[in-house]
Amino acid sequence: MPTLLEARSLTKHYGQTIALESVNFQVQDGITGLLGPNGAGKSTAIKLFLGLLKPTSGSAEVLGELPYESVGIRARLGYMPEHDCLPTAITASEFLTHMAQVSGIPPAQARTRSADILRHVGLEEELYRPIGQYSTGMKQRVKLAQSLAHDPVVVLLDEPTAGLDPGGREEMLKLIRRTGHEFGISIILSSHLMGDVESTCDRIIVLESGRVTEEGAVAQFTRETETLLIDADGNQEELITALAGRGVTAIIDGVSLAVELDSDEQYDAIRDSLVETNSRLRRMSLRRHELTDIFRNDQK
Amino acid sequence: MTQPTGELFDLGYQHYDGPREGRMRARKAVFVDGFKTTLGLGRGSGAKVLPFLLFGAAMAPAVIMAIIASVTNNLVDLPGHSIYYQIVSIVLLIFAAIIAPELLCPDRRNGVISLYLVRPLSITDYVAARWLAFFVITLLLVYSGQVVLLLSLVLSAADPMEYLQDNWLDIPRILAAGFLLAAFITTLPLAVSALTDRRAFAAAFVIGLFIISGAAGGFLTSCDEHDDSGRSGQCEPITGGAGKWLGLVDVSEVPNNVNTMIFNAEDEGDRARLIAELPRVVPIGLYLILTGGLAFILWWRYQRLTV
Repeated sequence: MPTLLEARSLTKHYGQTIALESVNFQVQDGITGLLGPNGAGKSTAIKLFLGLLKPTSGSAEVLGELPYESVGIRARLGYMPEHDCLPTAITASEFLTHMAQVSGIPPAQARTRSADILRHVGLEEELYRPIGQYSTGMKQRVKLAQSLAHDPVVVLLDEPTAGLDPGGREEMLKLIRRTGHEFGISIILSSHLMGDVESTCDRIIVLESGRVTEEGAVAQFTRETETLLIDADGNQEELITALAGRGVTAIIDGVSLAVELDSDEQYDAIRDSLVETNSRLRRMSLRRHELTDIFRNDQK
Repeated sequence: MTQPTGELFDLGYQHYDGPREGRMRARKAVFVDGFKTTLGLGRGSGAKVLPFLLFGAAMAPAVIMAIIASVTNNLVDLPGHSIYYQIVSIVLLIFAAIIAPELLCPDRRNGVISLYLVRPLSITDYVAARWLAFFVITLLLVYSGQVVLLLSLVLSAADPMEYLQDNWLDIPRILAAGFLLAAFITTLPLAVSALTDRRAFAAAFVIGLFIISGAAGGFLTSCDEHDDSGRSGQCEPITGGAGKWLGLVDVSEVPNNVNTMIFNAEDEGDRARLIAELPRVVPIGLYLILTGGLAFILWWRYQRLTV
């Protein structure tokens, strides 16, 4: 599988502030999530791969080239920023045609691409309305469309669902999945929303405080371990103590107790502890791990 | 009833395998977009009104002179090409102050600049393409008026060929002076536009600069008394010997000071007479330093742009 993006000892400092510190990772085909809380260094990483920033040290390579030094490689990249980036006075059709040309596509072909892409993102009816009259959801689609207008090899999306209502967010994620899986355009999706990454990406790279803390297939993170959630009436502290006496570690998770299962014998210990503490069991179920647990584990 | 002869298929997403023309196409696209934006082409009718109104105002002096020349059969002594540039430069300065910010401010204000910078285009390419787009329009504007004026002067002359033989030097002078005027008029408002995201601020600053520096230049070079002929050459400016230097503060006259030299013309104004006393290198140097400095500010500001 070819490497699309590669960070090698990638470091970026803003004065005394460390945005990225000696980060190493590779991105291949498919949809890759760049996950992390605000300030983790996601946007900085994206800007380094786009050539908008120069690394303090190390390198951010795109298709084997350095976009900061070689502007030509940017013709194969797409970018959807988090912030507003659309003119208000012209139509989506004109804007996409222009942006395709700025990416090197001749005018006639740019017009055709513009119409095709707007149809793919569901804006064919809005071709000739000024962008200033669009809703937030429609503007997000135009932002995605402009990143695809020149048929890039890889698109970098920075918080693409920002500002969208739940319905618009699901529509956008669906469109991103289509772009990655049906259109065959690789995607880097930067987000602080676990749900977005979990439902959309094939792989994730987790950034925290400028460092990569986790990396791998999304499925690996959602099935690697299982947690048993126990809802029982009674004193939770007594139950935790009773479980601990039987070698089972339980932690309070909301209104439930969470137990990391590693053997079937633990079920017997839970049953005996419930009886011993006279706790009435209301519900006991396995919970699949979510990506949020990555951050919970780090905080423990 | 006819039978269907074909079917429509949705082929889904199609990858692009046509030509990719890279950086040169990108530069052209930014240039053409700047050209269209300046003239309001491809925008609503409201966007076209001001550019064409100002275009008309810039052409008006030449057209009026042409009409006078033809009606009076050249009996009236028409102002020359140098004077035309002085008249039209005021309209052009207003045109540039209002329209030029449109090329740079909205891209930064709307965030579109971040999309340009991730395409096969350097920031210098972007700024140069925008500058060139406005420069070409300004150049066409100043040359168009001069062509009209030149034609009217030639055609209304008793012997057009003789007029051309006697005045052929006006043609390179028109080209050189127009080039300098257009370069200054393009660079100043674009440099100011690089420092603010708001078009109105940029336009107000440039127009304010012209008014204040013009008033200051006029006041500092005014004479406290004139001789009987009313000519200021024989009078002492209120600022004494420094008057000829202080006359240079009028920013709007910076290109005209050089153009007066190019046409070897005599300007009747107090300020122009005083500046004519300065060594020729001074107005030329001021023009080059100011235009070059403004171009550097424009370039430097964009080099430091963070998106």
